[in-house]
Amino acid sequence: MRLAHTEDQALFVAALDAILADSVSGFRAVPGWGRWEYGTALDAMLDQNGFFEAAREPTLGAVAAVELVMRLAARPVAVEGAASALLRPLLGVDLPRPLAVIDGNPGVVRFAPQARAVLWLGETLRAARLPEGAAIPGETIFAWPVGAIDPARLDWHETGADAVRARTLWQLGQAAELVGSLTGGLETVLAHVRDRQQFGRPLGAFQGVQHRLAAGAVQMDAARWLVLKAAATGAATDTLLALGQAQRAAGQMLYDLHQFMGAMGLTLEHPLHRFTYRAKMLRSVGGGAAGQMRAFADHRWGMA
Amino acid sequence: MDFGWTAQDATYRERVRAFLERELPGDWRSIARHGPGSRQQTDFSRVFCPKLAAEGLLVPHWPREWGGGGGTVWEHFILGEEMWAAGEPRGPQYMNVNWIGPVLMQFGTEAQKARYLPPMAQGRAVWCQGFSEPGAGSDLASLRTRAVRDGDSYVINGQKIWTSYAALAETCFLLARVGTEGVGKTAIAIFLVPMDTPGIEVRAIPSLIGHGDIHEVFLTDVRVPSSARLGDEGQGWTIISAALAQERVGIPRYALAQQVLDEMVALLTERGAFGDPVTRLRAAEAALACEAARMLVYAVIDARARGLTAEAATARLAVIAADHAVNDFGMDFLPDCYHGDRHPAFLAHHERAIVTGIAAGAAEIQLNLVAQRRLSLPKGA
Ligand SMILES: Cc1cc2nc3c(=O)[nH]c(=O)nc-3n(C[C@H](O)[C@H](O)[C@H](O)COP(=O)(O)OP(=O)(O)OC[C@H]3O[C@@H](n4cnc5c(N)ncnc54)[C@H](O)[C@@H]3O)c2cc1C
Repeated sequence: MRLAHTEDQALFVAALDAILADSVSGFRAVPGWGRWEYGTALDAMLDQNGFFEAAREPTLGAVAAVELVMRLAARPVAVEGAASALLRPLLGVDLPRPLAVIDGNPGVVRFAPQARAVLWLGETLRAARLPEGAAIPGETIFAWPVGAIDPARLDWHETGADAVRARTLWQLGQAAELVGSLTGGLETVLAHVRDRQQFGRPLGAFQGVQHRLAAGAVQMDAARWLVLKAAATGAATDTLLALGQAQRAAGQMLYDLHQFMGAMGLTLEHPLHRFTYRAKMLRSVGGGAAGQMRAFADHRWGMA
Repeated sequence: MDFGWTAQDATYRERVRAFLERELPGDWRSIARHGPGSRQQTDFSRVFCPKLAAEGLLVPHWPREWGGGGGTVWEHFILGEEMWAAGEPRGPQYMNVNWIGPVLMQFGTEAQKARYLPPMAQGRAVWCQGFSEPGAGSDLASLRTRAVRDGDSYVINGQKIWTSYAALAETCFLLARVGTEGVGKTAIAIFLVPMDTPGIEVRAIPSLIGHGDIHEVFLTDVRVPSSARLGDEGQGWTIISAALAQERVGIPRYALAQQVLDEMVALLTERGAFGDPVTRLRAAEAALACEAARMLVYAVIDARARGLTAEAATARLAVIAADHAVNDFGMDFLPDCYHGDRHPAFLAHHERAIVTGIAAGAAEIQLNLVAQRRLSLPKGA
């Protein structure tokens, strides 16, 4: 048991944080009041500096990859990271990124408008390049870019990668995105309640506010540790726990985050929705927390 | 990051388990049912702890000078996890080895150390902790029991309450107010008070968690020599802060909760009642709560093993949730097991689960700490 980053992981995270602190990942209102902004400049910086390759490096591994995904999701701009950092290293071929992942409905696929390649998670793991204009951008209330992909129009090939392992890594990636989104949301709300005064004191001095945010932080911190553990062990059960816990934390926190931001949190001029409306979408993947828990029960105690 | 056990730690855990397997008697669960402060469990500890000591498993984390083995932080923690999962066969003595002993080593005089540490290390000492008072619970610094200096002794008057083990303990680790000025934290001292000192009256409080578990302690003109004072006058708060830092994450309660949950599932399976999706979902949620608590606790221990301090309140809150989730699962799906005495382990866990959010710092105090330390929110209104 050694829960500190290795030296290489610590350097990776420090370098990453330095890039993320840069204004390229900050909030700007989007013309026409769009719900998301793709972090094109940030994506390029991370890509050029090899951050998405972390999982291929034995001294960094999936732990560094989930650190990347969590930290990315805690920034207002959206950048595709989970599939690139966790699934792509599994493949023999070198696919261009950003990557979209079809897992169920090809009509709503995150990052489809930006993706240059697609992974199709089914009985096997297939991949296809996505020619310019092949994805149809979709309307969404959620703060992820989404689009529709018509699988019949793409040239698929089998990756040969272990599909069960790929599914586990995809669950892990989504758990990390969810924890990151909640982290970004919580930080935004904390800054607000420390600053905003009502009744002559900061909102964050009221115990009714403190306790609910603290209770949410407990769930979120647990999810973060479970994500790191699942990354380190690679076990399917650990991953189900991580995603289930992240989804439970989202259930506990999402209304509260908006609650304590008051009316301001409902505006598109304020970044909170970027985080909460990402988390809302991830909260329900795989049947939500209950879905992961049912699968976990089968792993842990055998099928019913 | 490495979430696996080193070979050394895994071997250590096996060794502790093998010892428990060998030494716990067949009726141990019925004994443990009575709670760590009961006469049954305390009497058992007086037989069991010397055996642990002989095996080098009572104070392995203490320095060799005081009978320890110079063990690692993780070994000490693994030991605690296994003991709690087994129903805490050390009874009240866990407290001595975990924090009273180490605090005496740090702050005690040579005479205090020579008098009190050897019996603890041999598994023959029972202590009680005289902190809480009728008017000072969560707000411990408002305590009013007073020690007045009289020549080379102190005369103590006041009342303690909720004192576990008081009827059976030989010594009390007592907090009292000293001097005439000073309020709050600055005028508190600690006294190591033999419980047979004239003027001490102990009354058991009938309770839900087992008779003889908690007590009132009345102190009327209790005279102790000044050599019974631990540290300086006014140093008491610093010392107990150090003491409680040793115990930051508290008891690894999820270890018993986890074990009890597995037994509940085994029983439901045996009854052919573990096929229902709702039952399985709830069992998995309870297991998740245990794992969440375990990870947050491990994060605190890991920091300690690296010589750092980590905020423990987050972990403590998760531990409370785990205890509650497992207990609620049992009561919902195995309600018959909570009548009669055929399932002592479930009943024992039930009683421990009520205590979790209150003893050693209420849940709301932990939430305050998370808000202030983890979330950097202003001190509460
Ligand atoms: C089984 C058991 C064994 C114990 N053993 C010992 C022992 O050996 N020695 C000893 O000294 N003490 C012991 N205690 C006492 C324990 O330390 C106290 O119960 C604890 O500190 C809480 O104090 P209280 O019970 O007076 O509750 P109070 O302080 O009266 O609080 C009651 C409730 O009010 C709420 N509350 C309190 N303060 C706040 C706040 N600031 N903000 C929001 N909510 C708040 C919490 O929900 C709390 O549970 C034991 C208690 C139990 C249950």
